[in-house]
Parts: sequence; C-alpha cells; structure tokens
Amino acid sequence: MKTFPLAGITVADFTWIGAGSYTTKILADFGADVIKIESAERLDTLRDAKPFQGGVRGVNRSGYFADRNSSKRSVTLNMKTAEGRALARRLIEGSDVVANNFTPGTMEKFGLGYEAVREFKPDVVYISMSMHGQTGPEAKYLGYGLTMGAVTGLHHLCGRSDQEPAGTGTNFPDHVPNPAHAAFAIMAALRHRRRTGQGQFIDVAQIEPTIALLGPVVLDYTANARVAGRVGNQHIAAAPHGVYPARGDDRWVAISAPDDTAWWALLQVLEEPALAADTRFADAAARWQHRDALDAALAQSTARHDALELAQRLQQRGVAAAPVQDAQDVLLRDPQLQARGHWVYLDHPEMGRTVYNALPFRFSRTACAPHRPAPLLGQHTDEVLKEKLALADDEIAALRQQGALT
Amino acid sequence: MTAPEPSTPGPLEGIRVLDLTQGSEQYCGKLFAQLGADVLLVEPTGGCTNRREGPFLGDRAHPEHSLAFAYFNQGKRGMALDLDQREGQDVFRALARQCDLVIEAERPGQMRERGLGADSLLREQPALITTSITPFGQDGPYAQYEGGDLVALAFGGLLSLGGYPGLPPTAPYGNQAVLAAAQFAAVASLIAVWEAEAQPEPRRGQQVDVSIQESVTMALENAVQFVELENTVRKRNGGQQRQGGTGVFACEDGMVYLMAGGVASNKFWNTTAQWLIDVGAPGAAQLREPRWTDSSFLQSNEAKQIFAGIFLPYAATQTKAQLYAEGQRRRIPICPVSTTADLLQNRQLAFRNFFEQTPHPYSGATLTVPGAPYRLQATPWRLGRPAPRLGEHTVDVLSGLGYDTQQQAVLLRQGVIA
Repeated sequence: MKTFPLAGITVADFTWIGAGSYTTKILADFGADVIKIESAERLDTLRDAKPFQGGVRGVNRSGYFADRNSSKRSVTLNMKTAEGRALARRLIEGSDVVANNFTPGTMEKFGLGYEAVREFKPDVVYISMSMHGQTGPEAKYLGYGLTMGAVTGLHHLCGRSDQEPAGTGTNFPDHVPNPAHAAFAIMAALRHRRRTGQGQFIDVAQIEPTIALLGPVVLDYTANARVAGRVGNQHIAAAPHGVYPARGDDRWVAISAPDDTAWWALLQVLEEPALAADTRFADAAARWQHRDALDAALAQSTARHDALELAQRLQQRGVAAAPVQDAQDVLLRDPQLQARGHWVYLDHPEMGRTVYNALPFRFSRTACAPHRPAPLLGQHTDEVLKEKLALADDEIAALRQQGALT
Repeated sequence: MTAPEPSTPGPLEGIRVLDLTQGSEQYCGKLFAQLGADVLLVEPTGGCTNRREGPFLGDRAHPEHSLAFAYFNQGKRGMALDLDQREGQDVFRALARQCDLVIEAERPGQMRERGLGADSLLREQPALITTSITPFGQDGPYAQYEGGDLVALAFGGLLSLGGYPGLPPTAPYGNQAVLAAAQFAAVASLIAVWEAEAQPEPRRGQQVDVSIQESVTMALENAVQFVELENTVRKRNGGQQRQGGTGVFACEDGMVYLMAGGVASNKFWNTTAQWLIDVGAPGAAQLREPRWTDSSFLQSNEAKQIFAGIFLPYAATQTKAQLYAEGQRRRIPICPVSTTADLLQNRQLAFRNFFEQTPHPYSGATLTVPGAPYRLQATPWRLGRPAPRLGEHTVDVLSGLGYDTQQQAVLLRQGVIA
C-alpha cells in the first residue's frame, strides 16, 4: 500500500467556491487531513451550482462542488456564534495550515485573522487568497474567475481579431493558475517551517498568478511598446496550424504541420496531390504567406474525415493532430485518459458512484489520488469534534442546541 | 508585520534542480528558482527551442533576444550541453548525482536511450526526484503522439469551450496547456522533494510523471460533471452575453466585463438596475420589472438585447476605469477587459509594486516583468538573476565538477558544450 506524502498535515480550510477549494483539494488528494469549515448559514456557492446529480438541486448534489472537494472532511460551524468561532479557533490550534479565499477583513471579523491566529499558533502557515490581495485601493473589489480573467489581460487575448474577446469559455484562473500557485506557496512555507520552526503569512492576490503566466506578452508591451491583440489559433508563425472542420455536426480537428516533413505527410494522409503541386504551398515561407488560401483548401479536405480517425492517422505519420474533444469525448471515449486512470469514480453517499479528476500526474512510489468523495454538508462535524477536540456526545449535543453547528 | 531581512534565505534554499526543458515548461523551474532553489538550466548546444520563438526584444530575431526565454528563465543559471554525446551524458550524470530534482520534457523513452533514464539516475542518486512533463504522460496508447499546445488543448477538451458558436473553436492565448502542466509539475515536484526530505537516511526519491493533456482537463470547470450528471455537453459561447447583464460590453476606450448575474443567479441585479437608473440611462426603469429575476428570461435573447440597449449608450460615455470604479463602488462585479497596456496602468498592481525591473545584459536594456505571484511574508519571492546567456555558466559548472581547463577545451572542440 502506497503512503500519502502529506499524511499528518492538517488544514483548517475556510476556502469556498472555486480557486480556494481546488487548492486544498490538491493537498487532500495527497493525504493531508483537510477539514472544510463551512456553514449552512453561509453556504459555499458551489454547493448550489449546476450540474446536480440527476438534475435535482440539493446542497449535496453538485458535481461542480464535488470535484473541488474530494478527499476532504466537512464540519459545519456557525461563525456568527461565539461558540462556533471558539470551535474554529480550537481546530486551528490543531492544524498546520489555515486557508481562506475571502475578501480581506472577513477572517478578522471572526477574530481569526493572521495576527490573531499567530498569537495562539505562532508557527501557523496561513494563506489568504483574495482577488486583489490584502492591501491597496482595490483590495475589496468584487469578482469571480470570469472577471479575473478580464482584469488580468487573458480574456482580451483569447479569440478572433474580428470579434469581441471570447476568453477561455471558463473561469480559467480558478482552475489552474490560482490553485497551483497557492499549493506551491503553501508547500514552500511548510518546508521552511520544518527546517526552521517558523510559520508565516502568505498573501495571494488571485489576479497576479495569471498575469505572471502572460509574461512574454507583457514584455512585448513593456519592451517593444506593442499592445498584443487576438490572433485566433495562429499562435505560432507557421502554416498550417489551426482548427479545421471535420465530418459531423460541430466537429473539428486541430492540425499543426509547420515543417516540410509534416506537410508532405499531411498531404499524403489527406490524399491531396493538387495541393502538393500548388506552388503557393511549395515551402514553409510560401505556406505562411498564403496561409488563408491554404487553410481554406485544407478545410475542404478535412471536412470529409472523422476527426479522431484523421488525427490518429496523422499522428501515426508523426504529424501533430488532435480531435477537438468535448467533455463527453474526454470522459467517455478517450483511451489515453482511461489507460492513465485519470478519471476516478468514488461512491458518494447521496450522488452515488460519480467521477472525479485525479491530479494530472502519477508518482512512482507514493500515493496521490482522490480517495474520499466530496463530503456532505457537515458530514464529519461530530467525528472531527470528537477526534480533534475530544468533545463528548453530550457536549456536541449542547453545542448543536445552541445553534453553533449549523 | 515585520519585514524580513534582505538576506533571509528563500523557503526552497538548498534544493538543487536541473532543468532540461526548452519551452514554457521552464515556468516550473522558474517557480523553484524564485523561491530560493538553485536551478541550473541545461540547454542543447544550439540553445533552447524558445530562444527561437518570439516575441523578440526590439523585434530582433536572435537567440539572446527571445523575451519568452528571458522571462521563463529568470533566476536560473545556465549551461549548454549535448546530451546525445557520451561525454555530455557523463557530465549530466555527474550533475544529477549532486542534485535533488531533475525536470525534463523529452519524448518518453528519450532519456533512457541516452542512458539517462529515471531508473539509472536513481541508482546513482537514490534520493533524486525526476519530473517528466510530456503531452500525454509516460505511458498509454497516445504516449508517443506529437504534442504542442494546440493539440493538448484539443485532446484535453478545453479547446471545445473556447470561441464563438458557428465558428471554429479558438484556443486560450499563450501556451496555457504547457503552462498548466508546468504549474502542476511544480506542485508535484515540491511535494515529492518534501516527502524525500522527511525520510531518515538513506532517503529515496521517485519519478513524477506529468501529463499536459490531464493538466488541461483540470481546467474543464464543470463540463465533465455536466455530461455525467445532467447528460449535457457544454458548448462554446463567446461573443455573446452569457445571460442578460453578464458579458463583455464596449465602452468609451475599450471594453468592460460585467457580471450582474454573479455565479448562476441574479445576486447583483438590483444594484446594477439602480446604477443605470441613477445615471439616467434611458429605459433603465424597466430593469426593475419582476421578469428580470426569472433566470429563464435572463437567458433569453430578448433580455440580452434589452440590457445591451440600456447599458451600451451609457457605457459609451465612460472609460473602462470609470465604469470599474463606479460599479465596484456600488459592489457590482465589473472590471476592465485589460490590454497589456492597461496592466501597467492598473493602480492596484502599482500599489502592490507587482511589476519588477531586470537587466537584460546581452542588449543592455532594462526589462519590466511581472513579479511575485505570491507574497510569503517571512521568506519572500525574489526576482533573481537575469536569464542565462547561452552557455553562460558552462565553465563554472564544469570546474565545479572537477573538469580542468584542458578537458573543458576538448569538450568545447567536440561540440559537447557551448
């Protein structure tokens, strides 16, 4: 049996919605004991977000929530009550990491801001992931992944130059840049703590990691004074490189054949001798110059082929190609993801056997995978209060009666 | 909060990293370097692939002018070494014996063919972590397929969500698939190092196998769950409001993103309506009608058209910055659709001193670059040295391994180093 590398690490997890919850999912899937502290009084919005199992709404039925909260335990504490706040404080005392993604000031209202927590837990690793950071003129501005994508410049750069920006079609910063950067920062701080005994505060402004990823295009402005616009799929100066129609309704194939070898292989697979003879496409420079005509000619040809079949035949000839897979293809029809065990099915008490993303890598010796389904709201309240705080049944009953555990 | 001493070591101090990657995978090593790890970029003697990719400083297509290379390798040292020659492989093995983490992005099997596979490196340095970043991972039916950002986005599913109905799907800008894998590789690598460091001697390392395709699937939001739970396949929806009041709107000097609906609700509807009434936008009063609280109406084209008809004329008289400030003052999620130029004007980023300046020694220029993506109060992120010129530290590294001047000259003449 493989062991989990983060076994023994406890996280008092106040995160909710997107980026915060995906950060602590990473730690949980690596075996950290992530205790999600939530409340029916202030429900994690994702518990009420589509899709729901069987289309039936319910706080324990959202697949969006579930995927972001695998391997965690849920405790409900009413932070509007003194008892609820006291319990949260005691859970923090027994934790290595405190995580939240509230607007600045919220944890302070609970009496659980970093300055307060370090008084009773000096070596805590405490991460706050607000949208704009802890200080500054816009620190309290509102936003979501979509607006964040717009503030950072990513949205403006995605799409066609003849249309308004399309963005990624998702709340992109929530899913990759912010969880990955935050988890990396937490691990760095944990390492420092293990070596020195020193804890610390980590301030993640959620707009900043995405801007960091755009470094080269930012530099094109700061160094070359060029304000980049949208380029569709033409991200490299080579042709053909793009997305072409395939047989069927709204099916597409991505092909990149930037050099002569790939180009000739492409024409052989497509059986297009006329294109091979066309002097406009004789060499890489000519193909780049006549790329619009080239794309139009290729589109006529690719439209006769099944996307997956064509991509596989091209790949066998060493041409970079892929069917544009939708979520159904990715989940049900991708032999690679299946062979890799990317999709993990777990038995959820209310949703039944449902799917989770494994983390996108495999370790040869230690474990890393979702190993418990997302928790029901408050599913582990009693368990955690007994195990972590040594509370007895009657004490828990009294707290429940006082309204501290909702 | 007290500021740390300038000499405070980074939190990853003491971790020695060899980075063999040649494109945006280099972001992984950059994250390590800027938190204090010692990262050595090992380039082919002709230089990394991304030295030949733009944008170029001053638009000069030159291997020392690639801005992507300069950005993704800040904080690292660099040497040039031919891993396809036996002597180069010897040098590499000697380096790997002294390090904690190797990050590579070669085709699966390539390192083994060179005698540098994870198994053999681990035999010589049992505590080593080897991290591989490849399009599809080390195994499976597609493992030997050609990758690239566009292909990974297509196979991973994110490409299907980008773009406009009726037009071909469009990919996210800027190598986001490869960068996603680089970020996840950094997290995985650090956790692997953490685990190895916690062991009593003799410590054991392991192999970390990162898939770019799988990294892309992490970004599918709720699309996979929509298939599984509601039997619905999400489609791309760019170029239109997601629902009435949510989407991109033109204004006087560009565009703003308004999200009057919040996440799948109409949380900010009343405040948005009040804003437009207060500024006297013609027709705004009707936004108070009860039908605007009905989500099926909000989804309709009628709702989108009416809202646009009321908001756009007002927005046309206001700048991005004005709409941002006024909307946020009213606690409405609105923001500019920033261009790269806007980022340098963003007062929040300016307040946080987000942008940093670094010399570019080859040209003598000073570059302004995005800075810390996180603030670790006790052990700060540091910009670090400028990206290495090709072979800048080759001699230092070889000398450190005990190669004398004569031996180095032989390696140079044979083209093993540069």
